[in-house]
Amino acid sequence: MSNLLLCQGNFCTFLCPHGDDLCLNSLKDLFNRATNLSQDIYNLSSKMFKEFDKRYAQGKGYITMALNSCHTSSLPTPEDKEQAQQTHHEVLMSLILGLLRSWNDPLYHLVTEVRGMKGVPDAILSRAIEIEEENKRLLEGMEMIFGQVIPGAKETEPYPVWSGLPSLQTKDEEARHSAFYNLLHCLRRDSSKIDTYLKLLNCRIIYNNNC
Amino acid sequence: MKENAASRVLFILLLFLYASLLNGQSPPEKPKLIKCRSPGKETFTCWWEPGADGGLPTNYTLTYHKEGETLIHECPDYKTGGPNSCYFSKKYTSIWKMYVITVGAINQMGISSSDPLYVDVTYIVEPEPPMNLTLELKHPEDRKPYLWIKWSPPTLTDVKSGWFSIQYEIRLKPEKATDWETHFAPKLTQLKIFNLYPGQKYLVQIRCKPDHGYWSEWSPESSIQIPNDFPVKDTSMWIFVGVLSAVICLIMVWAVALKGYSMVTCILPPVPGPKIKGFDIHLLEKGKSEELLRALESQDFLPTSDCEDLLMEFIEVDDSEDQHLMPHPSKEHMEQGVKPMHLDPDTDSGRGSCDSPSLLSEKCDEPQAYPSKFHIPEGPEKLENPETNLTCLQAPQSTNREGKIPYFLANGPKSSTWPFPQPPSLYSPRYSYHNIADVCELALGMAGTTATLLDQTDQHAFTPSKTIETGGEGKAAKQRESEAYSSEPDQDMAWPLLQDKTPLFSAKPLEYVEIHKVSQDGVLALFPKQNEKVDAPETSKEYSKVSRVTDSNILVLIPDLQAQNLTLLEESAKKAPPALP
Repeated sequence: MSNLLLCQGNFCTFLCPHGDDLCLNSLKDLFNRATNLSQDIYNLSSKMFKEFDKRYAQGKGYITMALNSCHTSSLPTPEDKEQAQQTHHEVLMSLILGLLRSWNDPLYHLVTEVRGMKGVPDAILSRAIEIEEENKRLLEGMEMIFGQVIPGAKETEPYPVWSGLPSLQTKDEEARHSAFYNLLHCLRRDSSKIDTYLKLLNCRIIYNNNC
Repeated sequence: MKENAASRVLFILLLFLYASLLNGQSPPEKPKLIKCRSPGKETFTCWWEPGADGGLPTNYTLTYHKEGETLIHECPDYKTGGPNSCYFSKKYTSIWKMYVITVGAINQMGISSSDPLYVDVTYIVEPEPPMNLTLELKHPEDRKPYLWIKWSPPTLTDVKSGWFSIQYEIRLKPEKATDWETHFAPKLTQLKIFNLYPGQKYLVQIRCKPDHGYWSEWSPESSIQIPNDFPVKDTSMWIFVGVLSAVICLIMVWAVALKGYSMVTCILPPVPGPKIKGFDIHLLEKGKSEELLRALESQDFLPTSDCEDLLMEFIEVDDSEDQHLMPHPSKEHMEQGVKPMHLDPDTDSGRGSCDSPSLLSEKCDEPQAYPSKFHIPEGPEKLENPETNLTCLQAPQSTNREGKIPYFLANGPKSSTWPFPQPPSLYSPRYSYHNIADVCELALGMAGTTATLLDQTDQHAFTPSKTIETGGEGKAAKQRESEAYSSEPDQDMAWPLLQDKTPLFSAKPLEYVEIHKVSQDGVLALFPKQNEKVDAPETSKEYSKVSRVTDSNILVLIPDLQAQNLTLLEESAKKAPPALP
């Protein structure tokens, strides 16, 4: 196709208005890489959570404390398919960016604090390090996509700030493990959100809802 | 009265209780939630396992509340999912939210409730198997035949919008086989299978997995019969392989045939020629080599201890014997102590030095020593380069004095140009060795040293005196090992020396051995010397036949058999020292 028409309801915009293949291909490529990264981040965080659960959380009931504990819950993210499909791609992209940015800081501290945990399996630490790295890369990619799909838009939305560092550093081991459990549980969920939203956007923008 | 009534009621109750206990009725046991599953991330179903019902009809109720809400809801649909299940439709399903679900059992006797189950729909996705599995045998022309498998995504999964992402896995096997052959298909809904066995009935199954979630069940088996005449292999591939191997064999045979000679030479390497940088071919051609050589000979460049032995070894050779070199004495020979010098004192010179033993010690493998140029490196810095070592080949002395002489050429004006000394014919057999050996020595010691050597004209280098023996050795050693010669100012001396030398060698121009080629390790292969008149101081070139190359890169030349040359050389040698500055 020579033009990429993005319609939301009755409102349509032209992506790559000059119809050059370079623009289309680069956008396709960007989305491809972004979805690969987001899938990888999800896989890593899922494994990391399971590993931690098996090792430190058996029979402890940390899950009860983990309800409502995510710092990103203030973001108005869609929660089922219909809601997501009705969300404008610009909003979705802003949400993705907000999520990615709000995880920069916690991931950094997660790596630092996990290192300090005695007896932490390498599977957890190495995954934490990799997730932190990939999160940064995905953020960069998303910013590029955002710039291409919505040129000229300023995406300086405020993002939720994480304040759970003290609980990660507490001396009480039970409390500390519970805090880690929370963080990993929220990470798994948010990475799943990012992955799903990206795939939705990919199919909507690049493949015109015909993946 | 009242008391009577109360006690009566109590009694009846107790009786009733007792009766029920006798019947085995009890409150229900705790039910247990087994699992919850979502087929498409849009709805989900939970199943539980009831405990013992206590003998009474028991009702089960499922209640839940969502994360962040306090309101407790009851299951919207107990039917759709089958018995002991609860189905949550789209309306009631939220993703990325924790559900806290509990099942309660109630009967006449009591109530019990299960442990809560914490469920997030995101992580409980398990799709149905893929649908519409079709198998088709295709046999296009000019291409390999294959089995074309097609399918469609399972129900309830919205792949088009991107909400649901799936990967597929197919497995197939011949009906009678035990092991399945599995194939992975990341996104497409078709697969081509090659290399099937004809006459077999194949069974095919497929399953799928969401990007976050569980594998589905295997689909029901589909089968297909491969006809007997189904071509299995593509013979063109084998033809190609056969042709390629034939071509490779032909190439190898051709290469062997062509390079057969060089392979032989690899195994039996030709005698290397000397390689000296810095020699000026023109000077040598002029016949000044003799002078230079004499000058070189007169210097204090004696070989190393090895050379000393070599020198002595050389001295022992009787040049009246056959033309071939004496068999190569072992290295130990050379390293042994000083050997008695059989050479005439006057013919023994420092030049004999290291090279001489090599002459004797090694047979000359290559009768032909081709002329070539090799350059003695310039300047002192070149002294350090072992690569430029000159390999001197000198033939053993023979009655025929028409020996071949290595032919050294200088690089340029700065480099010392080393006209070669007279052919062995000018000297006594042994002496000619010396000469050439000396030249070789000098060459080995590089250009830088030559000038200094010339400068350091040592009288006994040229005078065949016995002092030369010991002195020569030392000098040769010095020459070999010294790297501190400054050649520049001294090199100019070479020329005058050479000039001076010419009259000494008037009887016979310096003869050169043409170098055929320089091998990789700096060994010169020389042309054999052509027999010419020795007496006439001609400009014609005379060559020494190269006998062999020693380990220390010394050319061993076949000595010239003409005695006259020897005499001439001797005279020249005597005269040379005074001429040297």
